[in-house]
Amino acid sequence: MRSSTLQTLGLGSIIEIFQNGKLPVTAGELVDQVFGKAGNRGALVITGANGIVGAGKTMQLGSRLEPFDIPIIALDFPGVPDGIAKQYPGLVKAFGKGNANKVMGNIIKYSYDGKTLPKALASHNPKFLLEAIPEILEIKKDHYKAFRESFPDIDIWSVTSGFPSSQLGVGIAHPAFPHEVNKIWEIVESTPSSSSKLLWALGLIPMQVSDNWAFVLDVFFCGLTGAAARFNETTNMPYWKIDKYIRKYFGPNPFRAHDAIGAAGANFLTWSCLHHLGQHYGELFTPSDNMNEKKESGSNWYPLDHFRPMVDWSMNEEETAEFDAWILGPLFQMTSLMLHENRSHLSQMNLIGELCAQFRKGVLALIRHYGADAARKIVSDYHKLQPEAAKNAWYPKEFDKIGSPEWQQLYVNAEHDGKVGVISINRESYNHDVNAELNRAIDYLKSAGIENVIITGDFHISTQMVGADTTDFFPAIEDANKGIELSKAWSATARRLHTDFKNSVGFINGKRCLGGFLELMVHCHYLVAEENAALGMPEVTLPVIPGMEGCHWPFRKMQAGNYQNLLKLILSGKSVKAKDAVGWLIDYAGSTEDSIKMALKIASGGDHGIAKRAVNENPISDIPNEIAGLENNEDEILSQARKALLDCIKNSCNATLSDAISIQAKHSGEFMTTKLCKKGVIGSTYTKTWQV
Amino acid sequence: MKLVESMFPFARIPYGTWGSSYFPGWQTSPLAEVNIGQFAGEAMANILGKRKVRRKELEYLVIGSTVPWHWKFWNGPAVASCMGQRIPGFQMEQACATGLSAVIVAGSEVNSKSYDVAGVLTFDRTSDSPVGVFPERRSYRRTEVIADVWDNFGFDPSTGSSMLSTAGMTARKYKIDRAEVDELTYLRYKQYFDTKKSGFLDKCLFSFDVLNVQGRLLGTISEDVGVREISLQTLREQRELDTCITSGTQTHAADGMATLLVSSIEKAKELSTRPEINIEFIAKVDIRTGPGLMPEAPGMAVKKLLDRTGLTLNDMAVVKNHNPFAVNDAIFAKTMNYDWAKMNNTGCSLVWGHPQAPTLTRTLIEALEEAVDLGGGFVLIFGCAAGDVGTAGIFRVS
Ligand SMILES: NC(=O)c1ccc[n+]([C@@H]2O[C@H](COP(=O)([O-])OP(=O)(O)OC[C@H]3O[C@@H](n4cnc5c(N)ncnc54)[C@H](O)[C@@H]3O)[C@@H](O)[C@H]2O)c1
Repeated sequence: MRSSTLQTLGLGSIIEIFQNGKLPVTAGELVDQVFGKAGNRGALVITGANGIVGAGKTMQLGSRLEPFDIPIIALDFPGVPDGIAKQYPGLVKAFGKGNANKVMGNIIKYSYDGKTLPKALASHNPKFLLEAIPEILEIKKDHYKAFRESFPDIDIWSVTSGFPSSQLGVGIAHPAFPHEVNKIWEIVESTPSSSSKLLWALGLIPMQVSDNWAFVLDVFFCGLTGAAARFNETTNMPYWKIDKYIRKYFGPNPFRAHDAIGAAGANFLTWSCLHHLGQHYGELFTPSDNMNEKKESGSNWYPLDHFRPMVDWSMNEEETAEFDAWILGPLFQMTSLMLHENRSHLSQMNLIGELCAQFRKGVLALIRHYGADAARKIVSDYHKLQPEAAKNAWYPKEFDKIGSPEWQQLYVNAEHDGKVGVISINRESYNHDVNAELNRAIDYLKSAGIENVIITGDFHISTQMVGADTTDFFPAIEDANKGIELSKAWSATARRLHTDFKNSVGFINGKRCLGGFLELMVHCHYLVAEENAALGMPEVTLPVIPGMEGCHWPFRKMQAGNYQNLLKLILSGKSVKAKDAVGWLIDYAGSTEDSIKMALKIASGGDHGIAKRAVNENPISDIPNEIAGLENNEDEILSQARKALLDCIKNSCNATLSDAISIQAKHSGEFMTTKLCKKGVIGSTYTKTWQV
Repeated sequence: MKLVESMFPFARIPYGTWGSSYFPGWQTSPLAEVNIGQFAGEAMANILGKRKVRRKELEYLVIGSTVPWHWKFWNGPAVASCMGQRIPGFQMEQACATGLSAVIVAGSEVNSKSYDVAGVLTFDRTSDSPVGVFPERRSYRRTEVIADVWDNFGFDPSTGSSMLSTAGMTARKYKIDRAEVDELTYLRYKQYFDTKKSGFLDKCLFSFDVLNVQGRLLGTISEDVGVREISLQTLREQRELDTCITSGTQTHAADGMATLLVSSIEKAKELSTRPEINIEFIAKVDIRTGPGLMPEAPGMAVKKLLDRTGLTLNDMAVVKNHNPFAVNDAIFAKTMNYDWAKMNNTGCSLVWGHPQAPTLTRTLIEALEEAVDLGGGFVLIFGCAAGDVGTAGIFRVS
């Protein structure tokens, strides 16, 4: 339907992965290209290694490069607080003590005066410099000069938040907070390099962006903060309350984020981005007075503890419209600018907001939701409030393209070769948008006469399938009908994987496939998974009742002897490894490469030797009443949730296939309005974020 | 309207940039539990927001507050920080004269062209007042402990007598009749409740949702809590605590805040939602009467003010006072030969309570709104204050 984001990295399309029966590149070959062959590997140097970014990236890259024997040189000033040591507990938690020690053992720390590089550096043969020193242009440039003088061939990437490569004279790899775990990097380079492909091969998410000030993420993040700061200046509404409203309506809480990252540094970075953007694009970005003040003082946005807010603020309808104009107006205008400048693949532009700036719906998805005219109206309402912003950087025509596949398929793409179709989903959790896009993807393949399909993650932005996006459940918490509708609609989509194709193959490559996504995938005729992928139904722990037919569909495909396995999966909420689920939940598990090959073999009707498991359309009455081996039975909430789940399982199984969809939906929708659900994870998040 | 000189020709009160909280009776609302300085700062930001005035416009803050609050040492700057604005400020107080004097101080600052926009913010929490421990070498006990609100009400160190006794004593001096005081009080309640029903108070008062430390709703301040309609019969049946003083004919302690802005002429046009309305400072005086005669002081202050300006009570479109005792009004009427039924049309502190500093500020806000409703004119506000003080000010709305 559109190009895949993988192609922007020079790694080909997703259908090609299946056609070639393997991933496009391996980490090993790329390590050889970037750092030299084994036995003669050069080093990765990280400068500013004790800083927020430096220390985080020393961990993230250090843990991934350690198996390849690439020394990590951590360089910073003498006497600055040890940012790397602070990371150790987190590293132990993630990898265990043994591995954490190995990673730390591979980090070599040097300090220097900022001018003369340590002599011993040469002995490590530095191949690559990741620069993470302060956001001051001249300092950065001098720094590169020092490195180039000593190591003329060294590759350099800056982690800069805002300076384009054209200003710095080096490549850009702008990472997203929190740096030790966030996998996303915005990359600026003329053609995809081995280094950015290596990030991908290491399981990270490089995204190609164009060489414009502040790239994509910080236009959204700093731009949102700037807009919110302006709203404060206009209305006096305190930052904490603006944060709550932004969180309620759009997801992020920009001011809290600054305080969490460390206000002194974060305020400066945001100011710096806005300042430079303002110089280029005018008032839309120019930092407001309070932003200037916060940069100077480095003080927190939230009040000190002893001044925890006392007077609550609310908005009437007119004030809410003004809020939309002040907050969404600039965001939409900024998006038009980035589209005009072609800053990145639209899916990436959209998902950067979700994955790095906490947007519940990416800004493009939001604009699409409003529609071009309504979005333009919001921007013009904003221009009435801040007329100078209208003078530059506003490209309303960009929204004319909302009907194009690039805009329409932000999360789900479909490709085919005339015989086999591949539907790829790049969002880790399933929401209304994914549901709508998935339907369009199916329509597209059907209209091309495709009868065989593989449904998979996108091998790039989505590294796992975590289940339903539970924020889409919020409206259902007060209204059972909303929950029932959602459940029916999503289930109907899932059923299309069963009814609309001759052969549908679910392919699970990522680390896990859980909840709603697993329910979706089991609707495929075949389910193939990488052998170590975790499969699970964690709904009971939230608690919610699965709404996409997880309570009966897979039972209808398995022998009665396996009911116990599935019941345990659902009632315990604990995952199983794919290789332990073959024969009852899935049809094949193997290495990444073997499962890729198998998925295509099944889809293309090759000789795969796996029997298609039929779906029993009649009522099933012999679901056991209880199962052995469940833990935490003394937990009252868990026990009640289990009971509700078991009721749903028994009732939806003990019906015909055509009736079961409504029965499951009723259980699922009604449960969301119960006290049990309200007290749980979803209910309390709902209360925290929506009841403001 | 008579032509009189303005005391601050360069200062104005921009119409509609003001607001007050309701004044819940002491110990009846969440205001009894908050740091009132913080509350007032946050509430002022909120009021200005609703009035479409950006906090950025403020250059200076005059704080009026009489009951010590936690971190009072930091005064204006701390309160300004609570409204999200880093500006300097100045705290001033003289019991119930504070609410008017704070406006005058701001007027003087603007008039002298130190600032274009100064905020006036008055507040007090009488509930659970702080207790001071004072080393006092000359007292028998050597160390004195004073509950700030109640112990001060009960003892004027200059005279040795209580507030209440000044009311009784002055009532006797002027031979005020208990029946008149009851009738006057009855009218005051009627004026308040009629005004409340008319919706007039919505132009002056704002509701606030107060949060607890967890950020959850502690309660809403949307009433002058504790004020109930009262019949003449009930008033008549009440026991006299001193001459003409019953629980019904005196005010009650309350908590609250009130704020307004003072600005240059140009800024007033810019900030006001109705720039055509011009509000000027005309004159203000304080006087002090003989020991223990506080309720006669307001009338004396008004008399002096009228003498100095050449105005008469008949020139006034709106007359309002802070009357902690109903006898204040009876004495004023008698000494100034004025009909007490013509004043305090929208309610008064006898009814809605006595949080000290913000009392006269709220009185002024109501008076200015009333004058605007009447199409303009002179506004006289006055009142008594601890220490046998009378304060009075005249403003002109045109
Ligand atoms: N903080 C974030 O979340 C974030 C996000 C993305 C990008 N960035 C970018 O990362 C860079 C660093 O930001 P930070 O927030 O980590 O700052 P930081 O202040 O936490 O860290 C900077 C580190 O650099 C060291 N340093 C300074 N000059 C040096 C030099 N000449 N050589 C070696 N070390 C030197 C300092 O001692 C400090 O440890 C900036 O360019 C910033 O724009 C930051």
